[in-house]
Amino acid sequence: MRAGSQVMSGVGAAIEVRGLHVAYGGTKVLHGVDLDFAPGSFTALLGSSGCGKTTLLRALSGFVPVLSGSIAVGGKDVAGLPPEKRGMAMVFQSYALWPHMTVLQNIGYGLKLRGASKRDIAAKVCSLLAMLGLAGYEDRKVTAMSGGQRQRVALGRALAVDPGILLLDEPLSNLDAKIRLTMRHEIRAIQQRLGVTTIHVTHDREEAMTMADRLVIMNAGRIAQIGTPEEVYDRPNSAFVANFMGAENVLPVHVVTGAGRTTITAGEARHVLPRERDLALPAGEALAYFRDDAASLDAPDAEPGEDLVVPGRIAARSYPGGLYRYRVEAAGRQLTVDHTIRHEPGAAVGLRIPLSRLHIFPAAQASIQASIPA
Amino acid sequence: MSISQRQLALLLITPGLALVAALFLYPLSFSLISAFTGPKGGFSLDAFRKAWELYSGDILFTVVIVLVSCSLTGLAAIVIAGTLTLGENRLIVGTLKALYRWPLFIPFIVAAQCMRTFLAKNGLMNNSFVAMGLMEPLQAVSFLDWRGIIATFVWKQTPFVALLLAGALAAIDRATLEAGRNLGASRLRVLVELALPQVMPQLLVALVLSFVTMLSVLSVPMMVAGSQPTLLTVDMAFRINAYGDYATANALGVITYLLSAGAAIIYLKRGMAKEGAP
Repeated sequence: MRAGSQVMSGVGAAIEVRGLHVAYGGTKVLHGVDLDFAPGSFTALLGSSGCGKTTLLRALSGFVPVLSGSIAVGGKDVAGLPPEKRGMAMVFQSYALWPHMTVLQNIGYGLKLRGASKRDIAAKVCSLLAMLGLAGYEDRKVTAMSGGQRQRVALGRALAVDPGILLLDEPLSNLDAKIRLTMRHEIRAIQQRLGVTTIHVTHDREEAMTMADRLVIMNAGRIAQIGTPEEVYDRPNSAFVANFMGAENVLPVHVVTGAGRTTITAGEARHVLPRERDLALPAGEALAYFRDDAASLDAPDAEPGEDLVVPGRIAARSYPGGLYRYRVEAAGRQLTVDHTIRHEPGAAVGLRIPLSRLHIFPAAQASIQASIPA
Repeated sequence: MSISQRQLALLLITPGLALVAALFLYPLSFSLISAFTGPKGGFSLDAFRKAWELYSGDILFTVVIVLVSCSLTGLAAIVIAGTLTLGENRLIVGTLKALYRWPLFIPFIVAAQCMRTFLAKNGLMNNSFVAMGLMEPLQAVSFLDWRGIIATFVWKQTPFVALLLAGALAAIDRATLEAGRNLGASRLRVLVELALPQVMPQLLVALVLSFVTMLSVLSVPMMVAGSQPTLLTVDMAFRINAYGDYATANALGVITYLLSAGAAIIYLKRGMAKEGAP
């Protein structure tokens, strides 16, 4: 699906954000954001509540005044322009449809503002509704529609003006799970077809991963990492990103480098990396992050091979379906592990984690990252 | 609810009901009966005939004055509430927010007195214009006539309507207004085409309530514009005070009731339409 983005792009506009600072009242929310958006790209701004992702989107659209910095669209700085002069169309979390208007009037409003004739508006709305799977709904009141239908109308309203840039502010968060999955694909497919530069704000990791070409992870008003979904998921550049992308198990380790080899110690477990596998790990106290599904359970004295085997004890077990979820006490920590074989609570086990699935960061950096409120 | 609780409930509301009956229903029925009773007793429309002969001009005058005042009040309230909701200049919005409610706390009679000193031929307004060199003292004209009544009504009722309207505007989803601006609408268009249609019911209710209030004010027409034509309230007071002619005064009262009833029907219809909506 992603390969198509190259074919259709060309309609979308490029955005260059440089040194963007934004404050609400006296509180600084964005601390110097630098970000480029290529024409026709689909970027997801991802982060937990209060990280500044929505503020960044609202600064781009002109609803939040910029303290300093520039926002260039197609080479022209728009940071000082009012929202109506920026040529960006936004889809709101609450849909923000006008309840006193029909579907036709809602979608056609932007065209009416641009002085289009009634006939042109009707034709454009008709083709948009066909694309959105709402053919024949022109005269329906938006208050008489379901959440999914309303969101489609909101999308149609934004697309009707042929914007160079489409801003999506958590557009799927008010929909139920099933419709949300369908809408993800539909929005992505429409974006590919039109080649419009799209910026999507979400706190849903999976949504961002499945829809976007590129993720921008934000933390406390700064960009934590930019990359493709694979890069950010498999190679997080900081403890925060690793944790945010789902590596929620934290194992304290000690790394000793030197004499041509690297040794990793975790509790009673010790692993010596062969010289050719030297991963440029930080020496000293460190924290290793890994996902629930990265580890498995084995005998406490199992042969480690290429993995790290940390002895521990099962504290609790639950069955979410398909596999068992264990709380394991190991190296003084409570860790969550998914495993297919049933073990009894209290049993001594060996926690087997492939070294390649560990994200290791110096303890000092990790604790600083962790202390920043998300 | 058991019977005893029902009785208890009735007992509890009895004082209130008794007050309404004694102070409102009884005088109302009395006035109604009196309006339809002839000089020699029995049913008669004489009082209405007399009221129409003497005061048809004032009835029309009242309707026009109150309708014009309501329209201007609505317009002023839209400007104020719109500025409060969509204004971007903090100084203007802050000042307006602090000032606009004041007339709410000033009684009609005080407002009327203020208008007298402001709008008179040698009043504050004309004096200020003369002092600023905008006009000669000889050109000064008194506004203490129908214009004075409208000015007072609008000044007094605008904050009430603006208060309800600003509340309603603040309650609508802000994103619906941002969506309009995002698509290219100016703030004025957002107000007129997107915000106001969403709060029309509340605006209409506020205007209906103002209409009924203006119909019942006696002090303003009496103090601001003493001459003919005048509002029905002044005529009623005159019939009673000068002639003890309760029948004609009550007939005028019934006519006022009918005018209010027209507004009340709009109000109730709106209320029901809103409750019936999904």
